[in-house]
Amino acid sequence: MDIIVLTKRVPVTQEEELKIAPDGSSVDLSRVPFRMNDWDSYAVEEAVRLCERHGGTITSVSIGDMESDEVLRRAIAMGAKDGCLIESNQTLLDPFVRANIFKNFIEKEQIPFNVILGGVQSEDDQFGTTCGILAAMLGLPFASMVIGIDEVKDNNLILRRELEGGIQERISIELPCVLSIQSGINEPRYVSIMGIRKASKVERRYFKAEKYIEEDSSNLISVTKLFYPPKKEGAIILHGEIEDICRQLIGILKEKGVLK
Amino acid sequence: MQKQFESRVLVCIQCGKCTGGCPESGRTPFNIRMLVRKRQFNYDIEKSLPWYCTSCNTCTLRCPRDVKPSEMIIEIRSFLVEEGNIPVTLQKSLENTFVHKNPWGKPRSKRSQWADKTDFKVPHISETRHKRLLFSCCIHAYDPRCMVIPINVANILNRAGYEFGILGDEECCCGNEIRRIGELGLFEELMEENSANFEKYEIKEIITLSPHCMNTFKKEYRDLGINVMHYTELLSKLISDGSLKTLKPLERDIIYHDPCFLGKQNNVFEQPRDILKSIEGIKMHEFTRSREISMCCEGGGGRMFFDVEVPYQRNSELRVLDAKKEGAHTIAVACPFCLMNLEDPAKEKDIFVKDISEILMEVI
Repeated sequence: MDIIVLTKRVPVTQEEELKIAPDGSSVDLSRVPFRMNDWDSYAVEEAVRLCERHGGTITSVSIGDMESDEVLRRAIAMGAKDGCLIESNQTLLDPFVRANIFKNFIEKEQIPFNVILGGVQSEDDQFGTTCGILAAMLGLPFASMVIGIDEVKDNNLILRRELEGGIQERISIELPCVLSIQSGINEPRYVSIMGIRKASKVERRYFKAEKYIEEDSSNLISVTKLFYPPKKEGAIILHGEIEDICRQLIGILKEKGVLK
Repeated sequence: MQKQFESRVLVCIQCGKCTGGCPESGRTPFNIRMLVRKRQFNYDIEKSLPWYCTSCNTCTLRCPRDVKPSEMIIEIRSFLVEEGNIPVTLQKSLENTFVHKNPWGKPRSKRSQWADKTDFKVPHISETRHKRLLFSCCIHAYDPRCMVIPINVANILNRAGYEFGILGDEECCCGNEIRRIGELGLFEELMEENSANFEKYEIKEIITLSPHCMNTFKKEYRDLGINVMHYTELLSKLISDGSLKTLKPLERDIIYHDPCFLGKQNNVFEQPRDILKSIEGIKMHEFTRSREISMCCEGGGGRMFFDVEVPYQRNSELRVLDAKKEGAHTIAVACPFCLMNLEDPAKEKDIFVKDISEILMEVI
């Protein structure tokens, strides 16, 4: 089974205090570390497990600047056969343009596949739609939020999808297809630094994004302004030494009747 | 890695001195002598076992044949790391260290936030004359309980008129635990990054707050000709030469717990005790298992980031019970991992755990 995995390099922002850049329409990421999008690492792991069981090859594809080469190295260290970087320095490529680039790239470069896997969404933009749009453009069936690939048959896959309220559904999807992979489907393996160094020796292929952007396909979404959410009223910040803060807190809880 | 760190399992005579001193032996499924035997014959090793080791190094220090069983554990772990087959919490710690340069995944931009709380402005190392670096260690930089230690030590050094500087957010994890988890490639990266900064700022002396950092800088980094010491070594010297004076008496029963990486692994036994003895009113107690045979708190070798599944009475609890039996009011420690591990059982048993810097701050 030949698999294409879509991977993205994203900033790690969970613990950072993000600031809006002076231009007012982007976030200052100059001092923020980057890594492979969390959902994509589950997609790569799932691809590797499928190939370990059923044979085939994995091609990892990324759109981004040259720094995105690091996610291809990681994917290769995890088990992908090779990596393709579609070079673009544009920070926001909306999901339509992204999907369009992926579609044209896969068709023009004739990348073999039975399945295309991607993460459910990316940690930075969180559109969560690239895989779906790509499936529509390629005219292929699509399943989102996949939490298990239970059976691989000649012409179809048996999958589990996550629905609202904790319900799961089992579906059959025809091959070839596009799947967006939910986190938690597996436990992505640890990739050691030695492993990444070895993967660096595997040649990656580099392409220019312009080659795959159609003339009439421009961003459907553009950022007009970024702003901090307005401060709401009602919260009380307690100040002072820790004992003092605890005393104040207990006073408030008693006053509100929470603590008796 | 240099030859001095390679294990020599083939020369093992199975005398059992390793197991005899191991803090995990007999109470957990971990048996170091059995693992050495299995390695001699290349038998399969149950994958959960190597992760029990706390890297206290007692086995290696006691071994009459220089087998270095603790290095063998690192070798086994490094195979598992290369296979990608390690406990999830350790995996997260390693990934965090790769991305954020600390195992907790905290932002690097906040690495020196403790320096905002000192009595004076702590200078960057580049602004200092003597190029003495205070190296904070990740746990001091980010853990709210341990953050008081760099603040205290910086304030004490300032009062003693001892000039020093910090690297700020250029500092990264020393890698001591990373090497012991078996991630040798990541250890090399951290070593290169820190060493490059030491060279860039022409650092002459490193004062570490954690014995773990001191250990790796002294023994495992390439030789940079830098004098590395633990902060208790420096403070003991400053007290004895009169630069630092303890002004107030402190009536207290104190027992000192020797951290493995400071005591048995680096022979720093007297200086922390000398600091405590210099304080008028303190009554010192000693554990039966102290100095070279001090009982490990089980915080080393990655155990701060990973807990084994088998339930057993932890060494930290035994240690607290021993301290109580000796009549101590406070257990004095000189390692952040010991502090964190001992404090939980101590709270339940109504006994205090204090870093030596915290005790000193009460009397100067």
